[in-house]
Amino acid sequence: MTALLEVDGLVRRFRGLAAVDRLSFTVEQGRTVAIIGPNGAGKTTTFNLVSGLLAADAGTVRFRDREVTRQRAHVRCRAGMGRTFQVVQPFADLDVGENVMVGALFGDDRRPSLATAVAEAARLCDLVGLGEKIGRPVASLTVPDRKRLELARALATRPALLMLDEVMEGLTPSEEREAVALLHRVRDEGVTLLLIEHVMSTVRDLSDHVIVMDYGKKLAEGTYAEISQDPKVIAAYLGSDEDSVE
Amino acid sequence: MRRELAAWAAFLVLVAALPLSGIGSDRYLMLLANVMLMFMALALSWDVVARTGQLSLAHGAFFGLGAYTVALGHKYAALHPLLGLPLAALAGALVALALGIVTLRLRGIYFAIATLAFAEVLRTVALQLPDLTGGPVGISMPPLFDGDRVASYYLAIAIFVAALALSLGVRHSRAHYAVTAIRANETVAAVMGVNVVRTKVLTFTASAVVATLAGAFYMPFITHTDPHDAFDISRSVAALVFPIFGGLYTTAGPVLGTVVLRAFEEYLRVTPPWKEGYQVVYGAVIVIAVLFIPRGVLGLVQRYAPRAGALLGRRPRGSVPGTPSGPRS
Amino acid sequence: MEALPQTLLFGILRSGLYALSALGLAISLGVIGVVNFAHGEFVMLGAYLGFWLYVVLSGPLGLGPEVSPLVIVLGIPLSAIVLFALGRGIFRFTLRPLLGRRELDQMLLTFGLAILVQNLAVIVLSPQALDANLGWRFELLPVGPVSVTYARLAAFAVSMALVVGVYALLARSQLGKQMRAVAQNRLGAQVVGINVDRVYEIAFGLSLALAGAAGVMYVFQTQVSPFLGLATILKAFSIVVLAGLGNLFGVLWASLLLGIAEQLVSQYVPGGAALRDGLFFLIIFAVLVVRPGGLRRAHG
Repeated sequence: MTALLEVDGLVRRFRGLAAVDRLSFTVEQGRTVAIIGPNGAGKTTTFNLVSGLLAADAGTVRFRDREVTRQRAHVRCRAGMGRTFQVVQPFADLDVGENVMVGALFGDDRRPSLATAVAEAARLCDLVGLGEKIGRPVASLTVPDRKRLELARALATRPALLMLDEVMEGLTPSEEREAVALLHRVRDEGVTLLLIEHVMSTVRDLSDHVIVMDYGKKLAEGTYAEISQDPKVIAAYLGSDEDSVE
Repeated sequence: MRRELAAWAAFLVLVAALPLSGIGSDRYLMLLANVMLMFMALALSWDVVARTGQLSLAHGAFFGLGAYTVALGHKYAALHPLLGLPLAALAGALVALALGIVTLRLRGIYFAIATLAFAEVLRTVALQLPDLTGGPVGISMPPLFDGDRVASYYLAIAIFVAALALSLGVRHSRAHYAVTAIRANETVAAVMGVNVVRTKVLTFTASAVVATLAGAFYMPFITHTDPHDAFDISRSVAALVFPIFGGLYTTAGPVLGTVVLRAFEEYLRVTPPWKEGYQVVYGAVIVIAVLFIPRGVLGLVQRYAPRAGALLGRRPRGSVPGTPSGPRS
Repeated sequence: MEALPQTLLFGILRSGLYALSALGLAISLGVIGVVNFAHGEFVMLGAYLGFWLYVVLSGPLGLGPEVSPLVIVLGIPLSAIVLFALGRGIFRFTLRPLLGRRELDQMLLTFGLAILVQNLAVIVLSPQALDANLGWRFELLPVGPVSVTYARLAAFAVSMALVVGVYALLARSQLGKQMRAVAQNRLGAQVVGINVDRVYEIAFGLSLALAGAAGVMYVFQTQVSPFLGLATILKAFSIVVLAGLGNLFGVLWASLLLGIAEQLVSQYVPGGAALRDGLFFLIIFAVLVVRPGGLRRAHG
């Protein structure tokens, strides 16, 4: 199995406090990895470091066998990293289809024509279930629809690795099931998933490998079954409001 | 898109034909027409930078830079104003690139302050190097085309066309998606693959070149300028008020705003009590527009008379909640 | 050269005034997050208020030019109160509706306000610069090897007293603590039960009150004209930028630094008096290049 993403000794401090503290992990191509942990564990910071929105204080990030630690966000995107955000932020002033087009136009080194991008956006909107709303203003979208848009937009950048930040948040159970089915389809397209999740059922259903973070460090890793038995992990979750690890 | 281009082509034909109707012999009206075109170009250029979400207070300074470049080119190299234009464009591009690279990594707040500071630096330089620039007394040059206002009018049209090309070009290319994404959310745009810094710098530079050209036209037209006049903040104010009033992020908006407000200004300038404080109207327009009509006059038209709005040019979709969007252009 | 201590002293004395006006700007920037381009215009309004007070006191009331200390004693509270009220009103009707919107819109609004106020002053008042003929201005007080005018000394003393007073307010009082909490973390402050809206309104009022007070002090130093605003805003910005966004306590040393630097340039750099203005703008640039406080605080 080729290692798609290798994070080694990653450190990021804010005013002296380490939000991410010598974190190391690997994501192999085709194996879904989930990062879980209590609030403030440093999960989103990790995403920001990996995707290039934050500079690391120490450590390296390697993607597809190349060191990308110093590369800017848009370069990493074009190299094949895609991500969504926990708080969904569609581009105002662009409609649904145009939002996806941004990813299609710039997310890749190919530089497609406008017409190609339009077609690609239409295809992806259909894939995520937004086909009928393609010309709508984004302000009119419901929460699950916004998540679909986030996903379509990230997919338009043709990622090899897709980082999803709490994509299940705010969804009803039936919406969650739809989302999981959608993610299966995405995986079938050959995209490797790296998830941050609080919803344990999703983690259990989707992930091949789980990394547990706490206080910026890797607390444990393994299969879902393994980490759910790990006393350290259980202790970390006790006393917080998270879904209890079953 | 074809419809929009055709509409602008028709507009240009009308504009070009203007001197043929008796107006051509009225020196005052021709003066106004020349100046109007010049400001339309300036307003269009500012609007393009605004599309990336940046508030530039430097456009008046680029205007002044263009004016002084042409004047100095004439003074030291006997450069004909028509040759001064490309020189000014080059100067504007170089300065804008430098300024852009330095400031465009900054957040909006700091960028705006930096552009304001930049404008003051230029004005101070013009003031404090009297051997080079003539200092507070200013600098002169012979009139463009010997004062033939119809001839200069056609030069003004050319500069206006350049501005139009920039505005329409950005709107109907990939750049539109890049700048709109940047304006909405730079961070997410970067993660979607948009090269934010390069887009902002290029947009700013192209826009500054047009603003510089407007100033380069101004100098031989008006034959004399000084640091107080060339770098007056009122030009930066005009550059932003006209698009805000007419309708941001469009091509028709800045043009419309210029025509209406600049004509109104002519009236105010000679009418007490406004005479010297006529800009109070611009201040009021900005405040009212930001609070109540952020999309400007075109936005109002689009909302209450959508078919008329479509005639005046396409608006960015998704901006007016509840309005159904048409097919993509 | 004997000029050095004199130059340094001038710089220190000037810095008092700068600190006062910059502090107001820093408060609106740090607590509310609004870049108030119109800040200088409110300094200008304060200056006119002070000037009228002087005219009224010395003229119709026949108190003559010796009235200057009275202008300070009465003018500052008057100006502060008027501008505090004005600030709250402006905040309520123009800035509060904009708080959720983009920074760009807020900046544009205050810029529009600046143009509006400045030109309103040109129309309603006169574009002519006015001079408060305070003979008192020029009397010198020898202090060791240097001498200084009463006016500068008074301006410095009063400004410093006000600045220290505001710092005490920020550090000790309930309101001050609330303002600092909001400046650090708006959401957190709300969660703790602080009425953020009210804090914003008061902070903005305070910001304008300080501008007004600074304006009154300007009457003793310079001519009063509608264009006073533009001159002060850039200096205030450079101080705030140097101190760092949101760093209210840093305004003091930044003002000192710039006040002294200004005088040094004026005195020792050839042609310096003229380049003095350019200095502030250059400083803005230099700071922004070297320390782009614009880099986002990391999210996540």
